Amino acid sequence: MKPHEQTISVGGVDVQTWVGGQGEPLLVLHGAGGSRGFTRAFRLLAERYTVWMPTHPGFGGSGDADWMEGIDDLARFYLWFIDVARLGRPHVLGHSIGGWTAAEMAAMSPGALGRLILVAPAGLKPERGEIFDIFYHPLATVRERTMHDPASVPEWPELFSTPPTPAELEIAARNREMTARLTWKPYMHNPRLPHFLPRVTNPALVVWGREDRIVPVVCGEQYRRLLPDATLHVLERCGHVPPVEQPDAFARLVLEFLGGPVTR
Amino acid sequence: MKLYYFSEMPHHEFPDEEGDKYPSLRLELPNRFFDRQKAAANYRRYLDEYEHADRAGFAGLMINEHHSTPSCVNVGANMTAAILARTTKRAKLLLLGNILPIEDNPVRMAEQIAMADLISEGRVLSGFVRGVGVETWWANANPVHNRERFEECHDLILKCWTEPGPFRWEGRHYHFRHVNPWCLPLQKPHPPIWVPGTASPETAVWAGRLGYTYVPFLVPFDIARELFDFYRQGAAEAGRTVTADNLGFLICAVTADTKAKALEAGRHFVWRMGPTLRGPVEYFSPPGMRSRAGSQFALKARPRSLATMGYEELVAEHFIIAGTPDEVADRFAHVQRQLGVGHLLLEAQESRMDHPTTMRSIELMGAKVIPALAGVS
Repeated sequence: MKPHEQTISVGGVDVQTWVGGQGEPLLVLHGAGGSRGFTRAFRLLAERYTVWMPTHPGFGGSGDADWMEGIDDLARFYLWFIDVARLGRPHVLGHSIGGWTAAEMAAMSPGALGRLILVAPAGLKPERGEIFDIFYHPLATVRERTMHDPASVPEWPELFSTPPTPAELEIAARNREMTARLTWKPYMHNPRLPHFLPRVTNPALVVWGREDRIVPVVCGEQYRRLLPDATLHVLERCGHVPPVEQPDAFARLVLEFLGGPVTR
Repeated sequence: MKLYYFSEMPHHEFPDEEGDKYPSLRLELPNRFFDRQKAAANYRRYLDEYEHADRAGFAGLMINEHHSTPSCVNVGANMTAAILARTTKRAKLLLLGNILPIEDNPVRMAEQIAMADLISEGRVLSGFVRGVGVETWWANANPVHNRERFEECHDLILKCWTEPGPFRWEGRHYHFRHVNPWCLPLQKPHPPIWVPGTASPETAVWAGRLGYTYVPFLVPFDIARELFDFYRQGAAEAGRTVTADNLGFLICAVTADTKAKALEAGRHFVWRMGPTLRGPVEYFSPPGMRSRAGSQFALKARPRSLATMGYEELVAEHFIIAGTPDEVADRFAHVQRQLGVGHLLLEAQESRMDHPTTMRSIELMGAKVIPALAGVS
């Protein structure tokens, strides 16, 4: 199935959703920057899985959800989305705040999900260091820290070489506001989440970039320790966005992980 | 037109070249540059100047509040109001104001303002502000809730003052199971409410609807007029008539015995236009703090930041007025004719303007300018 756009209405919120590929459903939850759609990594995943890629409420072309207060609300929302979209028991792949959302969903309802892929997820307070404050620092600084080496990003020309249009800037501002709404305090983590993660017996793959300067890689160790069935894979020479920085290596890791037996 | 005296209580007690090393004086200049001995002396000095302004005949003493910045070390508007409530006799105490969105306990706020009103025998003018982003960082308040919290905090304070307790408050941002403050303002039904404006059309409409005194801060005349139009629009919606008494304006001003001395003193105001406002946009306007309409109006209201304007230009544009008493009286009358305001708020001390200069300016304002302006309306 060629990637196409659908609007899925959940609890009165219209969710702009890209769907494409073939095979078991794989729900993909984007990070604070918003959905980039079917970039190379996800085209590779769509060869073997049906990729469902919703844009979070309050982001991009999806409807408002000013009533939401935190990532736990977004997690409850996506458990509902799974019902409405009739995804059965999908695998879930989430990046950054999307990874945090996936972890919250699993902690709330582990039986509703298949395997978990958490990519540089926020959500835990780092044992050492801090999660970089993406709101306090100028956008240029945040961008500069996000990826390890722009020169090695294969899709850089398509994704980042043209200056944003006014409409894209408007969406970026809206994405930022919604991220602030969901993650302001405590900043980018839920102090209660570590107490619930041991419930999540789903097989989990935690992926991190060694050079992540947004969410420290020590959080990857913490997730691996707290989740009963998790492996951590750290990509060398990679920053906060593995699917964009190393799409081929990333897709291979995910496909190998998902190809294994689903035990639950 | 009534004149009000205002000091930001600055703490400009560090070498400027040290300040220049940091992205902003706000939030980032380390507080190891806070000089405790000088601060102690400065607070006493600034309070003396306020008291002098009361004796000189100013209609009001304006008090504000900021945090994590040397531009203003008045870290508690209600604390200063409580002191001046006791040590001054005649002037109104214009709190402009309490920063509502970062307040977690509006009931305590209502009590503190009421207590200042009682001690001052009913002289409080209670201003409510949304604050700049810096205070949002200081308090770690979510900026996307700024306007909602401003309005809800206001509603709860008003309810504390006007409706008998005990009552329960279950709002979106504030939750109090038992509200029954044993401290109510002397003024009935409550102290007059003032609201400042710099760029938000929504605030102007809101203030107009509720009939509050509305005061743009340091904006060009044409922007002030536009904001007053938004105010009138809100007033019209509520069926209110707008008079000069509903409108104010804030500028920087100093007078001296000679024009040369006044112009020299006036240079101290440049610090508050430039260096103290320097910094990343994120510090002053974190995500969601302003609505899209507000952001667009802000761009229009500030086509050029004050920081890019030189002293002469700031004087020419009436952001700063400095001259002999006759000259400043003439300029103030010009502002009145341009804007039709009933209240002119004077930021009358800044940066390293010394005590004798400040005291002399206050004296001359009292002796010559205030009487000259009394008939201007």
